[in-house]
Amino acid sequence: MTIYSFWIFDRHCNCIYHKDYKRPYRQLRPRSEFGSQGANDEKKQTNGGGPPTGKGPLSVDDDAKLVFGVVFSLRNIVTKLAGEKESFFVYRTSKYKLHFYETQTNMRFVMITDLKVDGIRPILEQIHAGLYVEYVIKNPISPVEHVNGVRVNNELFNLGLDRFLRPLSIFD
Amino acid sequence: MVVYSLYILNKAAGLIYQRDFNEGLKRLSSNDYLVLSGTFHAVYAIASQISPVPSSSGIEVLETETFRLQCFQTLTGTKFLLISEPRQQNTDAILRRIYELYADYVIKNPFYQIEMPVRCDLFDRHLATFIKGIP
Repeated sequence: MTIYSFWIFDRHCNCIYHKDYKRPYRQLRPRSEFGSQGANDEKKQTNGGGPPTGKGPLSVDDDAKLVFGVVFSLRNIVTKLAGEKESFFVYRTSKYKLHFYETQTNMRFVMITDLKVDGIRPILEQIHAGLYVEYVIKNPISPVEHVNGVRVNNELFNLGLDRFLRPLSIFD
Repeated sequence: MVVYSLYILNKAAGLIYQRDFNEGLKRLSSNDYLVLSGTFHAVYAIASQISPVPSSSGIEVLETETFRLQCFQTLTGTKFLLISEPRQQNTDAILRRIYELYADYVIKNPFYQIEMPVRCDLFDRHLATFIKGIP
């Protein structure tokens, strides 16, 4: 049971948090000044180039846009088919599963895991209620609206998330 | 166990067949169906791009509270979308059987043009019989 990555998008469609746990295949494009460690760096950067070229490595920003696009379009499809209140829980491909949870405030939590993982919705709800609300929303210093690429830079949230997720999954 | 509807998409994301078997989902206009099929085709392609593991397929199963969408892509790029109840079992087998019916009554029909909308009476009839017969 492996978690590949975890994303949080706010209601303005910005990626405000991103964490990679395991990326066996996709190396990130090296960042200009900070070297090529890439994966867990949360600073948002503009990578000089244009749109991603299909086969090459993608930067975190492009990845975030693709993930958000997929999630947003699927939500639209589900709304068309089933009604306004509905949303999807999870989709599965041949190699991974994407789990989705949207709160009443339009915060979107996305987790990409391998196929063996099931029933992760309560975990996403718990991350929102027990970690995000407690450490980020209730923090008087953190911004209310994450504009201009400002992300969730909250140490307690990072630690709490790690402590919460590591016992649940297997890391290499 | 209820199957709600079937969509068949060609290689170019065009909707070539759409049929509702049972009530349960919202009524959509034909424009809505076209938009839906185009969107799904695009999302299918992007889903294989964002995969953390190489050579993933696109979306195979999508689960929501009120329905379950199963997609089967053939080697020729044709997609079969089956929308059913969330607890429906064997959607895999159902899709394969529908693919067999498609191959028999649509592709082998000498008057049918590939990638064009499906207007084959035998296909409709056999499909209806098959879907009715699902327990």
